[in-house]
Amino acid sequence: MKDIFFDLSVRSVKLNFLRSLLASIGIVIGVVAISSMGMLGTNMQLSVKDQLSSNVNTVMITSDTVRTTNSAGVTSSSTGIDKSQLNDIKSSAGPNDVVPLHRTSTQFTIGSTDGRGGIYGIDPTDVPKFLTVEEGDNIRGVNDVLVGPTIASNFNLAVGTRIKIGQPGTANRPSVRVSGILAARGFASDGVNTDNAIVAADTWYTSQYGNKDIYDQVNVIVKNVDTIGDVEAAIDKKVNRNSQVVRISDASSRLTSITQTLGTITTFILAIGGISLVVAAVSIFNVMMMSVNERIQEIGILLSIGTEKGEVRRMFLYEAMILGLIGAAVGGMMTLVIGYSVVNAMIGSTAYFFLPESLIFVPEGMIIGMVVCVLSGLYPAWRASNMDPIDALRSD
Amino acid sequence: MSEIPLIRLADVSKIYHLESGDFTALDHVSLDIEEGEFVAIMGPSGSGKSTMMNQLGILDVPTSGNLYMNGKDVAKMSNLERTHMRRDIIGYIFQKFYLIPLLSAYENVEYPLILKYKKRDETGKAAAELRAVGFDEALAAHRPSQLSGGQQQRVAIARALVNDPKILLCDEPTGNLDRKTGLQIMDILCGLHSEGKTVILVTHDQKIAEYAHRTVQLEDGRIVEA
Repeated sequence: MKDIFFDLSVRSVKLNFLRSLLASIGIVIGVVAISSMGMLGTNMQLSVKDQLSSNVNTVMITSDTVRTTNSAGVTSSSTGIDKSQLNDIKSSAGPNDVVPLHRTSTQFTIGSTDGRGGIYGIDPTDVPKFLTVEEGDNIRGVNDVLVGPTIASNFNLAVGTRIKIGQPGTANRPSVRVSGILAARGFASDGVNTDNAIVAADTWYTSQYGNKDIYDQVNVIVKNVDTIGDVEAAIDKKVNRNSQVVRISDASSRLTSITQTLGTITTFILAIGGISLVVAAVSIFNVMMMSVNERIQEIGILLSIGTEKGEVRRMFLYEAMILGLIGAAVGGMMTLVIGYSVVNAMIGSTAYFFLPESLIFVPEGMIIGMVVCVLSGLYPAWRASNMDPIDALRSD
Repeated sequence: MSEIPLIRLADVSKIYHLESGDFTALDHVSLDIEEGEFVAIMGPSGSGKSTMMNQLGILDVPTSGNLYMNGKDVAKMSNLERTHMRRDIIGYIFQKFYLIPLLSAYENVEYPLILKYKKRDETGKAAAELRAVGFDEALAAHRPSQLSGGQQQRVAIARALVNDPKILLCDEPTGNLDRKTGLQIMDILCGLHSEGKTVILVTHDQKIAEYAHRTVQLEDGRIVEA
């Protein structure tokens, strides 16, 4: 059943079609402005966050120098993370990947050419978690290694090439085989700079350098970068419960700072978009006041023959809502087109445009547009419903 | 005090507070109207006819005195109760018809039913009322602006009757009509009175007032003859 008051509102809008259309256009502009600006800001944040996340989703844990006194009273120092600490880290890292690694620097000889670089000892099963083998395969045999792209390029390495590890001239230097070449990482903020390094299996590494179960660094690769703070706090609480034995760091503070800045920019541009909605609200208010003023006698008739005040209010609020609905619907559709163009032009990519975090601005903008319309209609509706029916009837 | 009639004005005054000073539109007026009466209220311009109609129509409340409508003191009723009383027991017929311009003739008649029952009329009562006042059904979908004065007043009468009110308040119902149509409208009102409706008629026209069984003459806000 159609509500007669809704019918009256629809007819009033139709009767003053041009005026209503112009008022709705104001809402369309407002909805498009705030939705597009919101989408632009969110797309910017998502884009930057994604770029930075590849480097900052890792918590790095290194050992503080710990002085211990054994039972014989001999003071020794250790700069590694031991097995027990590693277990603590694993238990507090939740579902995130924990990658313990050994690290040092070494000289090596490829053919007749000597070189120097880093060497890492990593469990081969951990390699795919944060390294990309661009050519060849991951470590399979005990003597297999991966090499960084800088070494591969400088020494013109190919898969299968053998490398002698250790100081040239030393007897019985171990020989390893290149099973794969890693993709470039650049400056990695997770502390694993493999471009000019050799990555060996952890078993091979400890057989050569010792320190089994003592790790130079443990990385926790966080699945959701937003939880990195919680993960760090959990590790800190568990491992450093008695004293500061490990140092926990990450690059998330940089990300946080950038995200906050982008958030501020988003809010600012949303506020600019919001101004257009304020202008639209004034326009709707004006149209509604005109509607009330033009229909004073009609309001008088309605009130005098027994229409309740609430019903008169409802009629005018419906009218404001209809203007808002039209504006919001058209604005929502136009946002998809204009927002897409703006994001594409400003960011150069629409990869994040259709993500829920971005698209949510369309219904949000529409709802805000509707709410603004209804709010703009509140006073005119109140004024209409509180008219004196006698005065209203006398009005021409 | 005797049993309260359908309408009782007991020492009712209505004073408007204007910038130029207080203006007394009704001055200690007392009047009883019994159910089923046909009363004409007459008087020169400014005598208080309209103010009295507003009181009788519960569109206004007295400044002093009491107005009892259907046994209830109007001043003690809430705004909503007065609205419902206007909707349920009073039918208004105005000189200017005062139809709702955005609704068709049929919808204008249906409107009070919707107010009362909160739903569209499915009983055919609105259409029946239109037929009863001699309205051409072919014009039912027309808006008021597309109807003649006589047709509009027929719609207004049908609207006033559709909720089966006890009282019909008619403010110069023939004032905007030609003589022939005016007489037809008066015939309709007489018919309604004979069916038991209480008809209260405000008019300047002595000939129209002669249809009533009782005439109340107002002058300067006072009843000079009843």
